[in-house]
Amino acid sequence: MTTSVGVSPGPVTAAPSVRRPWWRSRLDGATTPSRLRLLLALLIVLSLAWGVLAALTADQHASAAADVVAVSEPLSLDAEQIYTSLSDADATAASAFLAGGLEPAEARQRYQADITEAAIRIEAASALVGSSAARTQLPGHPPKQASAASTAVGDDLAVLSGQLPAYTDEVGTARADNRLGLPLGAAYLREASGLLRGTLLPAASDIYARESAQLTSASAQATGLPLIIVAVVAELGLGYVLFRSSRWLSRHTHRVVNYGLLLATLAGLVSLVWLVSAFVVGRGDLLHAQQEGSAPVQAFARAEVAALRAHADESLTLIDNSGDDSYQQDYLAQQKLLGPGPGTLLAAVQAAASEGGGGPGRDVGAQARAWYQAHAALRAQDDAGNHAAAVTSAQSGAAATSFGRLSTTLSEGIDTHQAVFAASARSGRDSFTGLAVGMIVASLVMAAGCAWGLSRRLAEYR
Amino acid sequence: MNARPRPGLPWRRALLVVVAASGLALGAAAAAAAPGQPPAIHEAKAAKAVSAPAAETCDPTASSLRPSGPPQVTPGSFMAKIRARGYLIAGVDQSTYRFGFLNPLNNQIEGFDIDMVRAVATAIFGNSNPGTVHFKAISDQQRIPDVSNGTVDIVAHTMTITCDRLKLVDFSSVYFQAAQRVLVLKSSTAKSLDDLHGQKVCATRGSDSVDRIKEHHAIAVQVPYWTDCLVLLQQGDVVAISTDDSILDGLAAQDPWTMIIGPQLTKEPYGLAISKQHPEFVRFVNAVLQQLRTDGQWKSIYTRWLGSPAKDPPPAKYAG
Repeated sequence: MTTSVGVSPGPVTAAPSVRRPWWRSRLDGATTPSRLRLLLALLIVLSLAWGVLAALTADQHASAAADVVAVSEPLSLDAEQIYTSLSDADATAASAFLAGGLEPAEARQRYQADITEAAIRIEAASALVGSSAARTQLPGHPPKQASAASTAVGDDLAVLSGQLPAYTDEVGTARADNRLGLPLGAAYLREASGLLRGTLLPAASDIYARESAQLTSASAQATGLPLIIVAVVAELGLGYVLFRSSRWLSRHTHRVVNYGLLLATLAGLVSLVWLVSAFVVGRGDLLHAQQEGSAPVQAFARAEVAALRAHADESLTLIDNSGDDSYQQDYLAQQKLLGPGPGTLLAAVQAAASEGGGGPGRDVGAQARAWYQAHAALRAQDDAGNHAAAVTSAQSGAAATSFGRLSTTLSEGIDTHQAVFAASARSGRDSFTGLAVGMIVASLVMAAGCAWGLSRRLAEYR
Repeated sequence: MNARPRPGLPWRRALLVVVAASGLALGAAAAAAAPGQPPAIHEAKAAKAVSAPAAETCDPTASSLRPSGPPQVTPGSFMAKIRARGYLIAGVDQSTYRFGFLNPLNNQIEGFDIDMVRAVATAIFGNSNPGTVHFKAISDQQRIPDVSNGTVDIVAHTMTITCDRLKLVDFSSVYFQAAQRVLVLKSSTAKSLDDLHGQKVCATRGSDSVDRIKEHHAIAVQVPYWTDCLVLLQQGDVVAISTDDSILDGLAAQDPWTMIIGPQLTKEPYGLAISKQHPEFVRFVNAVLQQLRTDGQWKSIYTRWLGSPAKDPPPAKYAG
C-alpha cells in the first residue's frame, strides 16, 4: 500500500463543495510539520492500542484453552473415573459375593483397584477444585454462578470422601459374614449397594454433569468468535489508516516508499495472520477434542455406568431373591435406558462410534442384545428353581461372557476417545503459545516503524 | 411370623425420615427419599389377621384335615400328578437362617422348612433324590397367590396359620410352634419389650410383629428383611428386634453377642400352605408330618437346624 506514486506537490487544497469534518478543516490550516507530528502521535497510539487489543484477545483464548487442558479436562476425567469406578465396584462386589466365601482373586483385585482409583480421583479432584478458584475469575464468566458450581462440586466430593469408607466397611462386613456362610452377609451387601446407589453415585453423577458442563463452557470460551472478529476489524481499520498515511506522505514528500510505515504495515500483517491462523488451528483442535473426544467419552461413560448397574442388579437378584424382584425391575429399567434403540444410551454410543469412523462401539447393540438374552435365560433358570445353574451363568457362563464383551467395548471406547480428547485439546492449547507476547512485540514494532518513518520526514523540515 | 414386606428400598436412609411414621405412608416416604434405588414394586399388604385371640373365629391349631392312614399316592390324585411331572414345586424363603436360607457355601437352599418339604417329596417319589424338588424363592405377599394359582404346589415359609388365611388356603397340621419374643445385645439391661418403652425396635415392614412393638410403646423401625434388622442392631441404630423366636434364633446364631429375652408375646403356629383344590394333598402331607413326629425324624431335623436338646413336636390336631 505504500507503493502508490504521489506526484501532486504542495498541500492538498480542499474541495470547497464538499462538507468536511472539523478536524480536516483544522488540519487544512496547519503546517505540514505539525500535521506530521499529529499523524505520528495518532499512528503510535493506534499501534499500541492494537497491541493491547490483540494481546488481550490472544490471552483470552490462550487462558481458556489452558483452562480446558489444565483444569476442566482433568476434573471431568476425574469425575468420569469416580463415577465408573464406583459403578464397577458395585458390580464387582456383588459378583464376587455371588461366588461365595472363596471369591475369585481377580474379582477381589478388581474391586480393590476400583476403590483405590475412586479414592485417588476424589483426592485429585478435591485438590483441583480447591486450586481452580482462578478459573472463576475468567472474564466473561459469571463469577457467582461459577463459584456456586464449584461449591456444589466441593460438597459432592466431601460426600464421596466421607461415605466411601462407610461403603467399603459394609462390603468388608458382607464379605466376612459371607465367608462364614451367614445370610447376614447378603444384608450388609444390600446395604452397601444401597449406600453406593443412594448417596455415592448421585454425588459422582452430579460432579460429572457439572464438570462436563464446565468443560463445554471453557471450550466454548476458547473457541468463541466475537472477540477475534473485533480484533480483525480493528486490525483492518489500522491497515487502512496506515495505507492512507503512506499515500498522503508520498504526495507531500516526493518519496515513493516510506520504509518505516512499510515496516509497520508488514508487522501488522504478520500479527494479523498469526492471530487468525492460531485461532483457526486452535479452534479446530478444541472443537475436534469436544466432538471426537469429550462428547463420545460422555456417551460411552453413561452407557457403561448403566450397564454396570444392570450387572450389579443381575448378581443382587441372585444373591437374595426371596421372591423380591426390585433388582430385576431395576435391571429392566437399565436395559430400557441402554437400548439399543432411538434415544437410548447405546444409540448415542453407536452414533459417536460411527462418526469417529472405525472406533470401538459400533457393535454394542448386538453385544447388549446378546447379554439381555443370556440374562433372560439365566432368570428363567433361576425362576425354575435351578439357582446353581443361574449362578454359574452369571459367574462364568453366557451371561458373564456377554456382559464382559459389552463392558470391554465400552471401556475401550472411553479410553480411545479420552486419548483423542487429550491430544487434540493439548495441541489446541499449544497453538496459542506465545501469541499474546507476539502481539505485543508486533505492535511495538509497528509503533517503532511509524515513529522512525515519520520522524525522518519531520527532520527534513528542520 | 405373618408377613415379610417388600425389600429393595434404601431403608437405611429412609429410616431417618420414617422412624415415627407408620403403615403405607412409610413405603411412599422411603421411595421418595432415594431416587437412585430400585423402586418398591409392591406395597406391603400384610395380612395382619392374628390380632387379639378374642377376634379368632376358629382354632388355627386344629383346622387341618385328618390323614387317612400312612401317606399313599392314589391314582388320579394331585400327588400322582406331581409324580408324573417328576418334581415337586415348593415356595420357600431364602433369607431366614435355619428355616429357609440360601447357604452361600454351596448355593443350596436349606433349613427346617426345607427339610419338611423334602420329606413330602420323598414320600411322593419314594426316593430322596435332590432333583425331586424345585425350590422357588418367594416373598410373603406371593405365598397365598402362588399356592392358590398353582405356581407352586406347597409353601414352606415360616407361615403362621391364621383364621383369615384359612379362608384362602388350606394348611397342614402345625409343624412348628413359634412365639414372638425380643432379641437384644448381650450388653442390654432390658428384661422384656416393656423395658424398651420409647426406644427403637426393629421388625420387617408390614409384619404383625410391628403391632406388638407399638402396643408396648416402643418405636417400630421397619425394614425389608430380618437380616436388615440385625445390621441395624449391630450398627447401634436400634436397641432390639422383635419377632418369632424361630427367626430370632437364626439371627442370634449369626451374632453371638445377642440374646433372646422376655416372655412369649404371641403364639405363632406354622403350617405348610396348600391350595384348597387339593384336599387329598393336605391329608397326604399331614400323614407325612405324622410319620415325622412318630419316627423321630422331626426331632432329628430340629436338632440339625435348631440345636439340641430337641423339643417335642407340636401335637397334631384336626378339625373334626
